[in-house]
Amino acid sequence: MRPAWSWQFEPDALGPVGATLPAALTREWAFAGATGAGVRVGVVDSGIDAAHPAVRGVAGGVVVERDDGAATGVRFVEGAHEDLFGHGTACAGIIRRAAPQCELYSIRVLGERLTGKGMVFAAGLRWALEHGMQVVNLSLSTAKADYFALFHELADEAYFKNVMLVCAVNNVPGPTYPSQYSSVFSVAARAGDDPLRFAYNPAPPVEFGAPGIEVEVAWRGEATMRVTGNSFAAPHISGIIARILSKHPGLTPFQMKTVLVALADNHPDRAKTGPGRHRPGPGQES
Amino acid sequence: MSQRSDRTLRELAALATEVGPALAPVGYEELLLAIIDTARRLFDAAACSLALLDDDADELVFHVASGAGAPDVVGLRIPAGSGIAGWVVSSGQAIAIDDVSRDPRFAADAAQSTGYVPRSILAMPLETERRLLGCIEVLDRRGGGAPGLDDMELLSVFARQAALAIEGGRVFSDLGQALLAAVAAAAGHNGELRGALERLAADETTPQRDLVELARLFYELGRLGPEERMAATHLVTELLAYARQRRAR
Repeated sequence: MRPAWSWQFEPDALGPVGATLPAALTREWAFAGATGAGVRVGVVDSGIDAAHPAVRGVAGGVVVERDDGAATGVRFVEGAHEDLFGHGTACAGIIRRAAPQCELYSIRVLGERLTGKGMVFAAGLRWALEHGMQVVNLSLSTAKADYFALFHELADEAYFKNVMLVCAVNNVPGPTYPSQYSSVFSVAARAGDDPLRFAYNPAPPVEFGAPGIEVEVAWRGEATMRVTGNSFAAPHISGIIARILSKHPGLTPFQMKTVLVALADNHPDRAKTGPGRHRPGPGQES
Repeated sequence: MSQRSDRTLRELAALATEVGPALAPVGYEELLLAIIDTARRLFDAAACSLALLDDDADELVFHVASGAGAPDVVGLRIPAGSGIAGWVVSSGQAIAIDDVSRDPRFAADAAQSTGYVPRSILAMPLETERRLLGCIEVLDRRGGGAPGLDDMELLSVFARQAALAIEGGRVFSDLGQALLAAVAAAAGHNGELRGALERLAADETTPQRDLVELARLFYELGRLGPEERMAATHLVTELLAYARQRRAR
């Protein structure tokens, strides 16, 4: 007699471990020669201006809209669409800087109507999971406790499919979803403009800090904007993950977090050599 | 202490001094006005505005504004998914933009609605864990240059308090409305308020049945003792403030 699931661990059933990590995780190992080529990155946002010089085209996209007549309450319109605000274009441009050859997909969930936005947002995330996205940038969040279970289920599904969900935290003290879940890459803004520089926060729930303060970004109408917000920090991490995945396919979300911690500016291996040395925070010894 | 945390502490102290009086129980519209005036002084901004979602959450209504363009923005309704305020409530994310005019559509929106095109804007959702209420915008903050993360941190503390106050204020405003309906009904039934409240609470077609029931309970409380009466008096004061404000419209 065997308990459920134990069959998976029989010698003839057990597959080999996918990607493995080297003894020393260096920026050279992670980034050198990598371009993001072949990695599918979904941007769940306001749409992407594909013609923007900083974006240089998208591989595909879908508009998710509320539809009271549909059984699921939403409809999907696949194909080209414009950016209704400019923010999705900003995220796409940021991702391109770190992963110039990745395949960008625009998943537009922000529209004119706000009613049922949680449902539309969740449907967009589900579309990403069902259409082979490997990295999903979510510069969106909600503090509403009603959405906890819905997004938790989707975050778990992503984790088990090796899909990296990169989520901007919002400014409300207390949990926001989906950035709060431990399986996602939660990101807040910090100073700096180098697309491959970031920090790891050893005191989560916010795990990573990336450029998002007065950064110059692409915007709709082939414009650029100087902006601040956690929503601009998340795509930096999405781009970095896409770049690493193109060189090291098969990494799981927990392996990717291990890689990111090793490459962080505040990791001892970096802090002792480079500029931007670790500065003690309030209450910490220098 | 670092220069930054020193500055943040000073600002938080100022905030604490300002927020207390701003959020003391007053009429709902006065509460919103106090919030926006406080935010404007706190950031030494050219203008501030506060937009709330309407009941079916498809439009944002600018309820109060302070500073440049203020008279024109009050009462303005925009689709909940458009413009800077629309994006903020849709995404749940705060945003600061240094030069709004770089997006011609933003500039046109602003000019059309207020006759005033701000250079910088800092916008943040007003949200509690129960509901998304709307958005607060700080335009052209003076003295500090472009609105960076410090300003965002400060506004987030303020927005959180404001959202809780607005949520509480709405309950009182709705309660005032329910009590007013009961008083009107009582006038038609030999002036017996208790009976009118009971009848309203039992009537399935009464729009705010739960609040009428709450009003009935407060009414019972008022009959119990001095402390309970004091609480009830406070409520009646609210009702009066509401009724006066209603008459003034």
